Amino acid sequence: MAKGKPVIEFKDVSFGYAAASDREFAIENINLTIYEGEYVALLGLNGAGKTTLQLCINGVIPNSIMGEFSGEFSVYGQDTEVTSVREMAKLVGMVFDNPEFQLSQMSVAEEIALGMENIGFSFEEMNRIIPEVLKIVGLSGLEERSPFALSGGQQQRLSIASALAMRPKILVMDEPTSNVDPIGKEEIFAVAAKLNKEENMTIVMAEHEVEVMAAYADRVIVMDEGKIVLNGTPKEVFSETALFERLGLRTPQVTELSAKLAKKGTRKFSKGYPVTLDEAVSSLR
Amino acid sequence: MQGIAVPISVVPGNSPIHRINPIPKMVWVLGILVISFITRNPVILGGVFLLGLLFVTIAQIWPSYLRVVMVLFPISLTLILLQSIAPAFPQPWTPIVAVGPFTIWQEGIYSGLSLLLRIMCMTTFAMVMIMTSHPSDIFASMQKVGLPYTMNFILTMTLQLIPILQSEFNTVLKAQKSRGLKGTGFAAILPSMVPVFVGAIERVQQLSISLESRAFGSSGQKTSYRQVQFGFKDALVLAAGALFSGAMTYWLLVDKTLDWSRTLTFSPAFALILFFGAGIGFLLFIAFALRLVLTA
Repeated sequence: MAKGKPVIEFKDVSFGYAAASDREFAIENINLTIYEGEYVALLGLNGAGKTTLQLCINGVIPNSIMGEFSGEFSVYGQDTEVTSVREMAKLVGMVFDNPEFQLSQMSVAEEIALGMENIGFSFEEMNRIIPEVLKIVGLSGLEERSPFALSGGQQQRLSIASALAMRPKILVMDEPTSNVDPIGKEEIFAVAAKLNKEENMTIVMAEHEVEVMAAYADRVIVMDEGKIVLNGTPKEVFSETALFERLGLRTPQVTELSAKLAKKGTRKFSKGYPVTLDEAVSSLR
Repeated sequence: MQGIAVPISVVPGNSPIHRINPIPKMVWVLGILVISFITRNPVILGGVFLLGLLFVTIAQIWPSYLRVVMVLFPISLTLILLQSIAPAFPQPWTPIVAVGPFTIWQEGIYSGLSLLLRIMCMTTFAMVMIMTSHPSDIFASMQKVGLPYTMNFILTMTLQLIPILQSEFNTVLKAQKSRGLKGTGFAAILPSMVPVFVGAIERVQQLSISLESRAFGSSGQKTSYRQVQFGFKDALVLAAGALFSGAMTYWLLVDKTLDWSRTLTFSPAFALILFFGAGIGFLLFIAFALRLVLTA
């Protein structure tokens, strides 16, 4: 994959929540560069710092959440400590993990329109974009429904649609598929992949679904206790099966299987362990 | 999660009243509010009330309207009971008939009737407006008239929060009951309050972050998705409302002969029927409500 210019840059960033009793850092000394058009997956146990890292990207940290922030951070060259979250919103779309708590409007269409109204889209544009994004997330025909009358999975799709409608250059998603059924999960990953390919949207997604991640992401970042422990292509990262086990995380099942086979000596994987089912089929043939 | 119906909310429909912009309807409601407060004449108030019922008929919202009135009316009946034995009226009072230790006063019946009709007038018109206008349209047009966006958002959110808290409360209550919480009424409600409010605060925090992430309060030009039309017909209705209430107000203020508190006399039979009717109506309502609460 051809790398674009760097768009998200963390330089030695640390952050500790003011509300935390033990004054520990939620993320510590993060050095990370994400390039334009990359599809990055964040992996880690709950409390590893994935959400904190993502909240930095649109400036909610340190602008809206109190705490101790140090280091340098920029998005498209803009310092988030200077630029407010609402200005950043034009660049960065956020999808949070609790869909129901993000909704506020009377109907699905108005919910999607909210962000667009705030940055001044015209009525005609909104009328065109709303059906478009609803189609992307698979909610067509529900425009007039109350967002609170939707199922958890539909609400999650709606929050993605609301973020997409603002045409962000970067889409940050925090466990966007936690309430979605298995087929829906695959669909949401595919939607993200499509936006990534066709519109060159940079995607940063925190997830637990390693199988799907292996199939779609360009890069996997593994976090543990506020630090980045692994950072590389899915193949590179998931090969570290021993480390994964120590962290209490899973690798894709095919990788796990291959690692066990290799350990027993039944098979050798000269090109590294397979991470997707298709790869496994061809290398185990 | 299923949607919970708020008793007073928009009733979908396509009546002539539904099609009118909310602003003229608001003018009517305000006008009626003024009229109901400057007169005590039960006949005029009754006339205005009938006009309200005519609008209810045109809007075809009778079932939803009755659902609200069935609660409101019996409670308002207490006004007749209390007023007839202790009128909110300058002395001297004229006695009509004695009921045990109490005396029913002429001014009391007059005042009770006008208070009851006053409440019915205001609520009828207000309900016609609320039940025929989509809340989003109300807010959108209020914004057009000059209500600040933030204020508007607070109103919208509050309206949304009521059914959400209701459903959250039900969930918590069920969870508490499934863990063996005993008691009904307040004993059951109180322990559920804390989790509901803690949850509400958490929700608001998360919502504010997510709103900010969607450029809420952004500095640039703000547009509106909800388009409300204001046509010739709307202007006509607005003018009619302003004219009607203006003319009525003027007439009521100028014409002193409309104060019938001394001239409109009630027979003892009428007073007794009204008094006991109101009492029985109110007690029936209480009994019905109690049964509903106790069986829940």
